[in-house]
Amino acid sequence: MTLVEFPAIAFAAVVCWAVGSLLQIPAKNSKVSGSLSWLFLFAGTLVLVWFLASYWIALDRPPLRTLGETRLWYATLIPVVGFLVEYRYKIGWLKYYCMGLATVFLGINYMHPDVFEKALMPALQSPWFVPHVVVYLVGYVLLAASAVSGWHNVFLNFRGKRSTKGESMSHYLALLGFVLLTFGLIFGALWAKEAWGHYWTWDPKETWAFISWLAYLGYLHLVARKTDSRKLQWYLGLAFFVLLVCWFGVNYLPSAQNSVHTYSG
Amino acid sequence: MSGSSKTVKTGSAPAGFRDAALFTFVAILAGFGIELLTSGGGINVPGWPFNLVFLLLFGAVIFTVGLMFREHPVVSWLGGIPLGLSLIIGIALLSFIGGVLPQDKYPPDSLVAILRLNGMFSSWPFAMVILLFLFNLGLSLVWKTIPFRVANLQFMLFHGGFWLALSCGLLGSTQLERLVVPLYEGKESDVAYNRESETAIHLPFSIYLKDFQIDEYTPQFALYDPQHDQVIEPKSKLMPELRKGVKAEWDGLGSVTVLDYLVSALPGADGVPVPVEGKKGVPFAKVRIDENGKISEQWISSGGPQLKPLFVPMGNYFIVMADGAPKAFRSDVMLISKGGERKVQTLEVNKPVDFEGWKLYQMGYDEKAGRWSTLSLVEAVRDPWLPAVYLGFFMIMAGNVLYFWKGFKKMEEA
Repeated sequence: MTLVEFPAIAFAAVVCWAVGSLLQIPAKNSKVSGSLSWLFLFAGTLVLVWFLASYWIALDRPPLRTLGETRLWYATLIPVVGFLVEYRYKIGWLKYYCMGLATVFLGINYMHPDVFEKALMPALQSPWFVPHVVVYLVGYVLLAASAVSGWHNVFLNFRGKRSTKGESMSHYLALLGFVLLTFGLIFGALWAKEAWGHYWTWDPKETWAFISWLAYLGYLHLVARKTDSRKLQWYLGLAFFVLLVCWFGVNYLPSAQNSVHTYSG
Repeated sequence: MSGSSKTVKTGSAPAGFRDAALFTFVAILAGFGIELLTSGGGINVPGWPFNLVFLLLFGAVIFTVGLMFREHPVVSWLGGIPLGLSLIIGIALLSFIGGVLPQDKYPPDSLVAILRLNGMFSSWPFAMVILLFLFNLGLSLVWKTIPFRVANLQFMLFHGGFWLALSCGLLGSTQLERLVVPLYEGKESDVAYNRESETAIHLPFSIYLKDFQIDEYTPQFALYDPQHDQVIEPKSKLMPELRKGVKAEWDGLGSVTVLDYLVSALPGADGVPVPVEGKKGVPFAKVRIDENGKISEQWISSGGPQLKPLFVPMGNYFIVMADGAPKAFRSDVMLISKGGERKVQTLEVNKPVDFEGWKLYQMGYDEKAGRWSTLSLVEAVRDPWLPAVYLGFFMIMAGNVLYFWKGFKKMEEA
């Protein structure tokens, strides 16, 4: 499957999520509607999984090279975090934000289509490629969910409806995200040594990966200092912007001209 | 991830943070002050063996201060979370400058150069903050390590690993050697160049380049618009590969079908390409152009060093062949030590080879000549501090696994 089919696939996924979400309304009173709703919600994600798999086959390489390709992964994985959170915490609202975010990513890909390009430069042909990018992807997905949850909690606190359960959820999402960020950073360093001769060269992408890692390191130390969890929701909401700079903002910075590591596309 | 429990008790939160932030700010200012006085000279990290001496002394000071003055309020503040956090923010802010401004040459009298904002990671303010951070981290590590408790293992691994990787990475940087070795096919050389100082150095071994090869992806063809200097996207939205039978269509313009594709060929006597073996040939493809009913068959080619590219018109556009991007490039070399030891190896991107304490990397080639390049650029790297940095990395990862496990268990309980 190639990008020609992408608009149809993206449309199908969004329709599935929308129908699934609407069916959540009658689901409160009817078990059948509940099951049907989840069937649609999963179907939306499965359509994207199927597209990713067949796109991978068509490309003859992992679809992890361009910014558009990474957005495709986020669109696929972020709702999964929402579903897992509902399963684990019985918190339902997160999944709507997650599907909304995924829809935005699909929309960006629809407006700015990638070019179907099989070539993978030699430096990227490494056993480290998939673990490094996937660990980062999942880390970003968890931190995106923690930021969304952080903003939701800020809003709740503003209305005087504090939810400690919600705050603990953003914390654990951030904690897991940080663990993956750390692995991603070190996998990247180990790979860089094999591909480019040195594990750390302060390339702008590396510098921003380091800054985002420090941002969450700071968060964990604020938690260790028993900082008011309500204030930390702001922190989590804002920290994600640093990650966004690292993910694609770097491309637009003056320093990007020297980077060997910005995403193409 | 908490610091010593002592630190939590001593400084009250706001005061502790305020002092720490001020302290960090003063340290950064002092660093910039030194840069101003030295016109952005930056810090000279001591070379061998002084870097090791410095590391050992610094470690000894941390141990002594940490163990002897553990109860002293100033010392417990120096090893506490408020200062740690302030320094983390300090490092992040300085990294932010280094991550936004190009770390490149500026006019020497510009403010950026005088404050060394263009060489942030070898500047005094950065060094000051890192040094204080290592001190702070070191103290908390000593307190968590002595007396030893298994419960603190995660803390020790993560913080100890970070301390080791950071200190050894920065102090070892003076001994890091990254040299470019240009090699020509059929020749032996031991001359390497330092990219920064552009000085030539003789390696303790020599390299004979037997053969340099490039594999390329299949070439593609495209419809080129010379007026706007851009490629017109075909209906399928994919750049069509040159394979027999592939057809590409453009809305309202027509279609192109590949009738024949020769990977390596040269023009024959009658102009029709003839397949040839080896490096001399270039790719040719015979295409059928259907310009809304007007059909023609022509040869296209991406050309080579001796041959001009062949492209054919279609309306106001041209059908052109684009060389495939490089898929892999490698050098078959013989490594010859001064003692006469010989080793036949293949250098390829992502597959460096170890020889006599050096790591050899396939780095580049003459990009203008492309796959006809007879020049191979190899990078020779020596980094004696690497094992210590890697030990740090693995400790961080081990600590990370424990942290994940602990966090997960807590989450299950929550």
